[in-house]
Formats: sequence, C-alpha cells, structure tokens
Amino acid sequence: MGEIPEKHVGEAGSPKQHTSETASLPDQVGNVGRRTMEELVEDICASQGKTQLSLGPLEKVYVFWLAGMSCDGCTVSVTGATEPALEDLLTGSIPGVPLVILHHYVLQLEAGDHYMQSLLKAEQGKLDGPYVIAYEGSIPDENLTAGGEPFAGEGSLPLWAPSTERRRVSTAEWVKRLAPGAAAMIAVGTCATWGGIPAAYGNITGSMSVMDWLGADYRSALGLPVINIPGCAPVGDNFTDAVQAILLFLQGLGPLPEFDELGRPAWQFSETVHRHCVRAGYYEEGVFAKEFGDKECLVEIGCWGPVVQCNITEKGAVGHQGGCMNAGGPCIGCTMPGFPDKFSPFYKSPPGSLFSSNASRLLGSIVRPLRRISQRERNREIRWHETVPSGWAMEKGDTSLTHKILEFFYEAMQFQGAKRPEKQPAKKFPPGHQSLPDRVYDGDYQVLPEEREKKAEKRA
Amino acid sequence: MCFKNLPIEFDAQGNAQLIGGVANPYAYTPRQIKRDKLEELLARNGHIKDVSISPVTRVAGALSFHAVADLQERKFLEANSVATIFRGYEVILKGRDPRDAIYISSRACGVCGGVHSTAACEAIEMAFGISPPPLGTVLRNLALALDFLYDHPLHLFLLAGPDYSQVVVEATSPAMWEKAQVTEAPNAEVHQFKTIGDIMKGLNPLSGKLYLDGLKMTRTPREAYSVLFGKYPHPQTVVPGGMSSTVTITDFNETLTRLQKMMDWTKRMILLWDDLTEFFYGFNPEYKKVGARDKNMIDLGMWDDPDSYDATYARCNEWGEARWATPGVVIDGNLVTTKLQQINLGLEEFVEHSYYENWNQNGVRFKTDPSGAPLSPNHPWNKETMPKPSKESWKDRYTWSTAPRWDRQVVEAGAYARIWTTAAAGLMPKNDFLESTGHSLKIHMPKTMLREMDFEWKIPEVWNAFERNRARAYCMGYNLMVGYTMVLKAFDYLRKGEDKVSTHFEVPKGERIGVGFWGAGRGYLSHHLTLDKGAITNYQIVTPSTFNASPKDPFGNAGPYEEAVLNTPILEDYSRPEDFTGVDMLRAIRSFDPCMPCTTHIYGGEREIVREVNTCACSAEG
Ligand code: SF4
Ligand code: SF4
Repeated sequence: MGEIPEKHVGEAGSPKQHTSETASLPDQVGNVGRRTMEELVEDICASQGKTQLSLGPLEKVYVFWLAGMSCDGCTVSVTGATEPALEDLLTGSIPGVPLVILHHYVLQLEAGDHYMQSLLKAEQGKLDGPYVIAYEGSIPDENLTAGGEPFAGEGSLPLWAPSTERRRVSTAEWVKRLAPGAAAMIAVGTCATWGGIPAAYGNITGSMSVMDWLGADYRSALGLPVINIPGCAPVGDNFTDAVQAILLFLQGLGPLPEFDELGRPAWQFSETVHRHCVRAGYYEEGVFAKEFGDKECLVEIGCWGPVVQCNITEKGAVGHQGGCMNAGGPCIGCTMPGFPDKFSPFYKSPPGSLFSSNASRLLGSIVRPLRRISQRERNREIRWHETVPSGWAMEKGDTSLTHKILEFFYEAMQFQGAKRPEKQPAKKFPPGHQSLPDRVYDGDYQVLPEEREKKAEKRA
Repeated sequence: MCFKNLPIEFDAQGNAQLIGGVANPYAYTPRQIKRDKLEELLARNGHIKDVSISPVTRVAGALSFHAVADLQERKFLEANSVATIFRGYEVILKGRDPRDAIYISSRACGVCGGVHSTAACEAIEMAFGISPPPLGTVLRNLALALDFLYDHPLHLFLLAGPDYSQVVVEATSPAMWEKAQVTEAPNAEVHQFKTIGDIMKGLNPLSGKLYLDGLKMTRTPREAYSVLFGKYPHPQTVVPGGMSSTVTITDFNETLTRLQKMMDWTKRMILLWDDLTEFFYGFNPEYKKVGARDKNMIDLGMWDDPDSYDATYARCNEWGEARWATPGVVIDGNLVTTKLQQINLGLEEFVEHSYYENWNQNGVRFKTDPSGAPLSPNHPWNKETMPKPSKESWKDRYTWSTAPRWDRQVVEAGAYARIWTTAAAGLMPKNDFLESTGHSLKIHMPKTMLREMDFEWKIPEVWNAFERNRARAYCMGYNLMVGYTMVLKAFDYLRKGEDKVSTHFEVPKGERIGVGFWGAGRGYLSHHLTLDKGAITNYQIVTPSTFNASPKDPFGNAGPYEEAVLNTPILEDYSRPEDFTGVDMLRAIRSFDPCMPCTTHIYGGEREIVREVNTCACSAEG
C-alpha cells in the first residue's frame, strides 16, 4: 500500500460546522467529540466532495456490532483484516462498495447513551440506510439471571435517565429488538455461529449460538437466514471478504455469494483445511511429526485438519501470513460446530487417523523410495553423467545398470505420446580450444589481480 | 518486611510465618457504604449530576461506569466501575483433561491473544514437573513481545488516542485547540509533526495519519506472530513443555523484517507522547490530576530467562528475578518486593460489592502455599463462589468483578507497572539494548532506516492518566528490544544446534498444584490450577483488569478506576450542565487500557455453591 499524501485523505473538520440532532439531545455525557462517529465519517467523506458516480442502489450500510459471551477475539481479528481492510470499508474507499458505517464499542468515538441511541433508531426504522447486525460471542440464557443483572449486558434503558431508574439491557434483548429489521444477521466467530467455548460441557450460563437462539425459521428483512463466519478466532479477512461480497452483489456488481447448508460462505469454507495444508504432502507420503516442533504432518500429535472446514492454510491469519499448521500448530477444529468438545483432549491424535494415517504410511513406504529415485535423477542436468560440478558435496552421477534401466523406462513413459527433444551428444570443446576472453586477455583474466600484474610485467 | 497489613512475618532465613498470638489472623469487619448525604445532594441540586456511561466505548469488552459529578465544584463525588459480563469458564474447565486448559483458557480473552495460553502452560508445567528447552522459552518470550507490540499501539492510537485528537479537544476545550495549533512540538524533528495541533489532527479517528498508521502498525507484529505461531489471537502452538512451532531461518528473517519496521515507527512515536503530555501539563497543570492515584502497583514479571526458568514453585523467586521484566509490588512509589512468592502470599480477593456471597464459611482449603508459607482464606486458591445475582445497588453490590487486593491495599496493574518494577529493581539481565538503572529504564535502539536512538523512561514524579499513556509508549520500545534480543538468542541456540522447542510429557495421575505467574498486555496475570486423577479440580485466573476494574473493598477503598475518577478534576469547557461530556473522566478510565472480557466469574444456579475461577485478561469474572 503506497503512502497517500495526507491532504487527500478526508478531513474531520471542526465540530461547529455540524448541525445534527446530537445537539438537541438532553445531555452530552459521553459525546466527547460533540458529534458521533457516524457524523464524523460523514464529515470526512463530505470534505472529499460528493461521490460523482453511484455504482449501485446502496450508498451506505450500517453495521451494528454486538457482543455477547465473547472474548473480543473476533473484533481483534477483524481489525487485522486487509483484504479488504477495515479502514477502507469504513471510509467508503473501495469503488462500488457502499460506505460501511460500523457501530462498534471498541472503535466508537462516543460512549454511553449517545452510542446506544443509534440502536434505538435502527429498531424504530429511523436510519437513512439498511442495517446489518454482526454478533460476536454466544448468547446466554438470560432467563437464568431473572431478577439480577444479565450475564452479558450492553447499555441501559431508558437512555438519559438517572442510574437508579435504569435497567441494564442484555445483548440477547438487543438481538430480539434488532434481528427482524436487519438486512442480514451475521454471526462472527465460533461462539456466535455454533456456541463455542461458553457452550461447551459445563456450560452454566445456558450459552448457545445465534442460530440456536433465533431458530431455523428466522429470516432477515432481506429474507436471509443467519450467515455464519466461524473460527475461534476467525480469520479477520473472512469477515471483511464476506461483507464485501454481499455488498457488491447487492449493488448489482458482484456474483451471487453462495452459502452452504450451515450458512457459511461456501467459497471460504467448503474445503477441508487439510487439502490446502502445507504439510499435506507429508501425510500423503505417510511421514508424521512425533514431537511438537517437527516439520512433518501433525496428525499424530493432534491435528484434525482432514475433517475440518477452514481456509487458514491458504488464506493465512493476518496479512496472508501464517496459518496454524503452516507454523506448526495442529488443527483443533476451532471453526467447527463440534468445537471444543468433539476435538478434545487437544494434542491427542484423532481416532479416525488410526486408519487413514496408517494407510498412508503403508502406501508411503512404497511411493517414497520410488519418488526419491526420480527426484534424484531430476536433480541432475542432462549433461551430468559421471561427475557433478558442485563444490558442496561429493555428488556423483549414477551410471549403474539398474539406474540406466529405470531411467530408460521412466523416460519412455515421460514422453509417451509427446515429442521428445532430440538427444544430442554433449558438446566437448576440442583440446586447445580458446574462448574469446582467453584470446583477448591471453588467458589472464581468470587469475588473481597480483598474478595478472606479475604476468603483465613479465610480458613487458 | 513487605507486608504491613497481613499477619505475616519472616524469620531469619526469609521463610514466611504467621505472626503468633492472633486468634483470627485474617478476619476483618466490612465497612458499610453510606450514601444518604449524596442522595440528598443529588435530589436538591441541579449541578450535582448522576452520570451513567453505559457502555464505556473504546475499551475492550463490556464496561459501564457510574459517577456523581459536582459540576459547580468541578469534581466527582462518587464513582462505580461496573463489569457487565460473566461467562463461567472455570466450570467449563473443571473435570477436563489439564492439557485442554491451554486452549480453553486462551479464549478468556482475545485481546491479548496468547497470554492466557502461556500462563496456563506455565501453571501446567509446574503441575506436571516439566519445563521447556531453551529455544522453547525464547520463542514464548518472542511471542509475548510481539503480542504487546500490537496491543500498545492499538490502545495508544485507536482506543485512548481519539480523546487527545483535534475532534475531541476542539469540542471540549476550544482554547486548548487554539494554543495547540501554534505550539511547536519539541520533538518534531523526530516524529515529523510540526505542531501539537498537527499531532492532535493526526489522532482524529479514521482520517488522522497517526490513527490510520497506528491501525496498520498493529498488523505488522501480528503478521510476525502468525508466521511463527500460526494465528492471532488464540495460537494453536502453545503446548505443555514448550512450543510447537516449526522454526526456519525464513521465519526469523520475516520476523526481523517486521521488527525493523516497528523500530522505525516506534522511534518516532515514543517522543510524540512526551510532547503531547508536556503540552497538556503546560496548558493547565491541573491535568496532572486527571486519573491520579497513589503510586501503588503490582506485576508478576514475564519473559523468562531460558537458563533459570524451571517451572518450580520452590525456585520461583530466583527465576522470577531473572526475568526480562522483573516481578514486583510498588507501594507509595517504593518497590517493596520482587519475590514472586511474596507477591502470591499477599494476594486476596474480596466480593462484598460484587454479585457473590462470601465463601469463607466453607472452611479453608489451603492453609499454606506449596512451600509451607501461610495463605489467606481469601487467596484465589481458597476461593469458592456463592453467586448472588442481584440488582445493581451503589450501596451494596454492583459488578461481576471481584476486588483483588495486595496486602489489603489497592494496587493497579498495567504495562506501566511492568516497566516501573523493572526500572526500579535494577535486575534486568545484561544486554546491549536495555538497562534498568533503579530509577529509569534505558532503551537503546540500533540504526534502522532511522538513525540509532536512545530513550530513557524515568519513574515519574506524578502518577496519572498521561503518565500511564506515556509509559505505554515507552513500553513499545521496551517490548521491541526484548523481542529483538529474543530473535538474537534464538539464532544463538540454533547456531549451537539446540533446536528443540518442546519436551515430552505425560499427564500425571496424582494430586498436583500449579501456578502460572505471567503478564498480559495490561500487566499482572496469574492462573492457579489443581489437578487430581488426570483432571482439573480447580482452575482460577486473576487478571489485570480484575485489579483495575474492581469495586470497593470491605475496607472502604475504591478500586483503581474509581479512585482515579474521584481524583480527576473536571477541566473541560461547558456553559450549561447539559453540555458536560465527561471527557476528563473517560481519559482517566481509558488510560488503564481497560479490558473486560477476562473478568470472569461463575454462576452456579440458585443456592448451588460452585468453586470459582476467575478468568481473563482483564477483569470481570466470567
Ligand atoms: S498437519 Fe493436519 S491438515 Fe496438515 S496434512 Fe497433517 S493432518 Fe492434514
Ligand atoms: S486450522 Fe483448525 S485450529 Fe486453525 S483456525 Fe482452522 S479450524 Fe481453527
């Protein structure tokens, strides 16, 4: 990403220029900029002039980020996204993609009632654009807290009332209020998509996923069931990539994004992580890591990759870097509905591997030696027969009869049905041959400078 | 003698014992909170305002804050910090295979993505009786240095930063904005922002250069982290007895590339926070009181010395003091201990103002620690929770967070506590880049694109919101040089052929106990674990934000956020009470870098008594 001269990036400008409704609200507690983040984004975009070209029906989309029983890891992942990057979505900087106005407690300029205000506006249908909910964390069963404070609360109502007259509102209640009117409901991360750790055995808060909570009949205002972007924590890019794909489709520009039977973006989650694993070749040849840190396939020290739908090995974790097995971490199935209980105890090999890894061990024991022979031969230039001109090792060509026979059949197969380049006898320079530099420099050009000087002296 | 309130004394050999002749050594009578006068004031006066900020944004996780402000006198009369989440991870961990603790407890907090897994790992290592090979320890240290290199910029530029931006300053103090635009930044030559006004403009959300670069720079260390440890947060490479990273030369080279990038940027950023701080002090010295508190802090240290760390409790004082961040407790500005065992013995948790009942009636589980020293019935190891979900009441119970105290005093945790104890102790291992002088930490950064530079963080005379942020900026340099040193150490071990990163282990079947003394981005982090028959019998986490976000304790002392707000003068401009925004109080709260996901407690249903485990990075119970 090149540096953009600062003056071309939008400017916030001064607060006085803004005439918004925040000024007319009963008080300014928490509104430290005297304008909300939403108003600020509008100011920034306005300072760059109006967009000339509208590439679709949508100009802006609100995204309300709610968190239930979460660790904020999904939020952290999304701040790491680069394809597209969060800041590009939030400033409407991607041509064709509408401006995303994100309402997120970790990033928002304003706090308290001014922050919560927009949620009520959304519920009342008073926003000037459609809204989407991104829900992070699982939803606890707040029936268990009846009469007490909720397990997971966000904001309190009524707004602007003294603290003693308010009640803390659970995030579950916000889902109930906002889900029907939302253009889409996106569950982010394994807690929200399937339940995750808060809903594992021993779950005393009655935690469950957004789908569990809303039920299979839920449809958003656009008629969509819950969209699920799993991962604990998810690859941040998977979220921004899915959002961009959906928005481009709604703009009439992008192709139809497909979702699988569990509501996952199919283009991200239909493959097992094993298929794109950097260690998959080891599995195929039946070579397995014995200790943590070994470079081979990790299945026997706890990798569940062959049955886990995840794209981290090809997508990378942050900025296309890393990935669990790329670095050496066995897959513990953190994107899957069964996580964690169906994958624990971690670091123990999955039962299924008993069959499959031993099968590849068997096959590998035949395939590996054969491959090593072909590999060795492919490591030789066609001119190297007896000697190899490498100073690194005592490398030798192979001229044994077995080798010649093997090579003969191998090459016959290699060029079957194809034109084989004609074998030419290796050209040898005739004895006494002089190259052009030899002739010009009298053979001196290869000797050390001092020697050359001495020789020159002699000649003189 | 480090304790002045707890009934513990030390014999000539330094062994702790109970002071004799006290019948109930740890007993106390809780003080009631009286609010009648305040309620009367609130009812009578228009300028006494009940301030409710729900939620506090630009912090990680769910935090609410309540205060009563006197807008005429410009001060706060009451402050309550409220953790609004509770998840119950400890119950989920109970009865499981201990190996699962690493990945499950990691999910207590995703903001510092790998700190819990590492703390859990150290607790498990103590319980299993194993310790990592040197390269394993070095990798772990490197992981944590990278972790904080993302975490501190996130706080400085995205969470706290906007409070010092043009957008906020111009709205809440136009006079200051006027002055900022014409005040030259003393270190402009280094950071390239000519005036303080330019810095403030840079901090504007979504358009300022500092904000946008800050966001991008949080990704650079995370990329290096992903290269070496797979993903961030929640890496799948932390294992009992070491790490499971397959390291290659390329991995370290790619890490080095990113550290170099961070060095260039950090060199410019540290002095920027100096300039901003001094400008506020110069504009109005009253800003020195924003977020002010006693200089009381706690840290467990971190970044183990690969040659000293053996994961035993018996030797924890030695390997603790050999760490690259020195453990310690500071009381009234004085370092009173650097011994992990003493820090552990002084720890107690109270629940008088949290949604739990006291657990002491059930008898004490451990009267002593594994070395035979006296342990309080209020120590997390002895804790059992009788949850009492109730209605919020400022007089009674108002949060899911407990109140951890050290020697019954209110201590705060943070990156600044880590740099403070390290600077004061003078125990930092000898190296070319960092030096602890007893009153400061010197940071030497080698030439990168920018010239070679030296920085010195001095233990400040005043303690407030600005100093917390300034210390955090210096911590970026500190972490960076720890990270770089760890890369060099890793190379060193690889050159010697010591390339093992993990140790073999078996899950023990007998009864075992373990503690992980570690640190999160926000400081103090301990995991306490007991095992029996190959399964977890008790698991507890004490996090930095549990300290910082704590409610009042039974001795009547407010928690650190609360105390910091009570000491904060109201300096913003407003002509009518309705125009009050609370920015000074929010600056005070945010300077702690609150992180709530890990504050954790369990709920066991009506009348059921459940052993509590405290999770997270950060502070409520859950
Ligand atoms: S490490 Fe895991 S995902 Fe990779 S090849 Fe082995 S089993 Fe498959
Ligand atoms: S590879 Fe496995 S553990 Fe890693 S992110 Fe994907 S599902 Fe999770």
